Amino acid sequence: MELEKLQVVIGYEFLKHIRRKRLYVILGLALVAELAVIIFVPLLTKIGGYPSNIMTMATFLTVGPSMASLGAVFFAGDAIAGEYESKTGFILFTNPVKRTTLWVGKYIACLIAVALLMIFSYIITAVTLLAIYGNVPAEMYQSFGLALLFGAAFLSVTFFFSSVSKGAMGATVITLLLVFVLFGILESILMFTDNPTWFLLSTGGDSIGAVYGDYSVILGEFLPEGHELPFEIGALDVGLASMAMAVYMVVGFISSIFISNRRQLA
Amino acid sequence: MSEAIVIENLTKYYDKFLALEGLNLKVPANENVGLLGPNGAGKSTTLKIMCGLIRASSGKVYIDGIDISQKPEQALSKIGAIVETAEFYTFLTPSEILSYLGRLRGMQGQEMKSRIKEVIKLVGLERWIDVKVEKFSRGMKQRLALAQTLLHDPQILILDEPGLGLDPRGLVEFRQIIEEAGKEKTIFFASHQLTEVAQICEQIAIIDHGKLLIYDSTTELEKKYGTLEKAYLELTGGVS
Repeated sequence: MELEKLQVVIGYEFLKHIRRKRLYVILGLALVAELAVIIFVPLLTKIGGYPSNIMTMATFLTVGPSMASLGAVFFAGDAIAGEYESKTGFILFTNPVKRTTLWVGKYIACLIAVALLMIFSYIITAVTLLAIYGNVPAEMYQSFGLALLFGAAFLSVTFFFSSVSKGAMGATVITLLLVFVLFGILESILMFTDNPTWFLLSTGGDSIGAVYGDYSVILGEFLPEGHELPFEIGALDVGLASMAMAVYMVVGFISSIFISNRRQLA
Repeated sequence: MSEAIVIENLTKYYDKFLALEGLNLKVPANENVGLLGPNGAGKSTTLKIMCGLIRASSGKVYIDGIDISQKPEQALSKIGAIVETAEFYTFLTPSEILSYLGRLRGMQGQEMKSRIKEVIKLVGLERWIDVKVEKFSRGMKQRLALAQTLLHDPQILILDEPGLGLDPRGLVEFRQIIEEAGKEKTIFFASHQLTEVAQICEQIAIIDHGKLLIYDSTTELEKKYGTLEKAYLELTGGVS
């Protein structure tokens, strides 16, 4: 019975995503990002064409999935907080359905929306690589898996902030500041001081491209002859980064359910 | 006569503010009871606890014999409720919203579709059934709220200021719908509108500062105080 209700919640929550403009905005942004890479890489780099190494171009094209993962924040920011802020909870919560079912349904609906954006981005990547190089590297599938994991972890962190925030905007902004600003700064400091960064969620995002190879090798093609990168980029441990993302996903989601179930709609 | 709603020693604190203080009330099945009280008296708090939206600090609420704090889903399956001003997902249509809520209540198929049409007609939203709620006025949302309350034909209606935002014609129509429903259902109705409550409810409970001041039949109150308005004012300290 509760499983049937879960299916109902997923269906209507997904319908809400379909109806909202944000899905199409993010879809458009992902498309623009991929097109920018396809158009500007041959125009702006010294080699005057696409890189000879397929892995380099595949790495550049991960900008699309990264953009798609941003969708997680915009879908999930108001998933919980919105029911309280816009007072739709006064209607929804008076129905005979467990709150946990509602939160799980909302999470799955968001994840489906993010996955669709990812699939869209990877189709563009695959078509581009096929058109330029005639094949698609096997690493792309691993990259897709990592992108999905990153999206799910990002979603869980946003759900956590949505469960503690009064408003959807607050949850969205806090998540973006945490992952892209705070974690970004920490990641840079740790990298320059030669310390591990695998436990940061932003590093998880980097792993989407890291599967294509060492950044110093990939970027080396674009450096003038005899020059090296001004700093050393340590190889990213994708396994550890994946484990960290799984922890963010599970802990973020479970704590968001725990907090939301105790939240009152006064 | 069995009791549809039992409120036992209900107390609610918002931090240090005492909103309800040991409230006791029994609503017999098929009776229409009005809950009156000034702003901040504890009406909405009582209704929110009854609908499982907030937790009581102590005390119990039983809906059709089911403890709302222990078995909320079972208790909620017995009621239809409007709490505070109704808000809906603005990018969905009334038809979609009622399908969503109906399916959460186990309704499905042609039976649900027919019932949706029926309640939409009842509240006068036929022309708007496939229009997104973002285009709706306050009064139209309130009509939709009443439709979702009646959708699954519950035996108990819990209504908090259901006429809010309605124009005079809407208010009259609303009163007629609720009166009609009240013939075979239990209605627990919180409002500031004394005339509205008097027309719909046989029993009146007046609360203030979270305490029950009186619980009696409308006719008894009118007999004792002259009018319901005088009873309200005297009991809540408005006249000496």
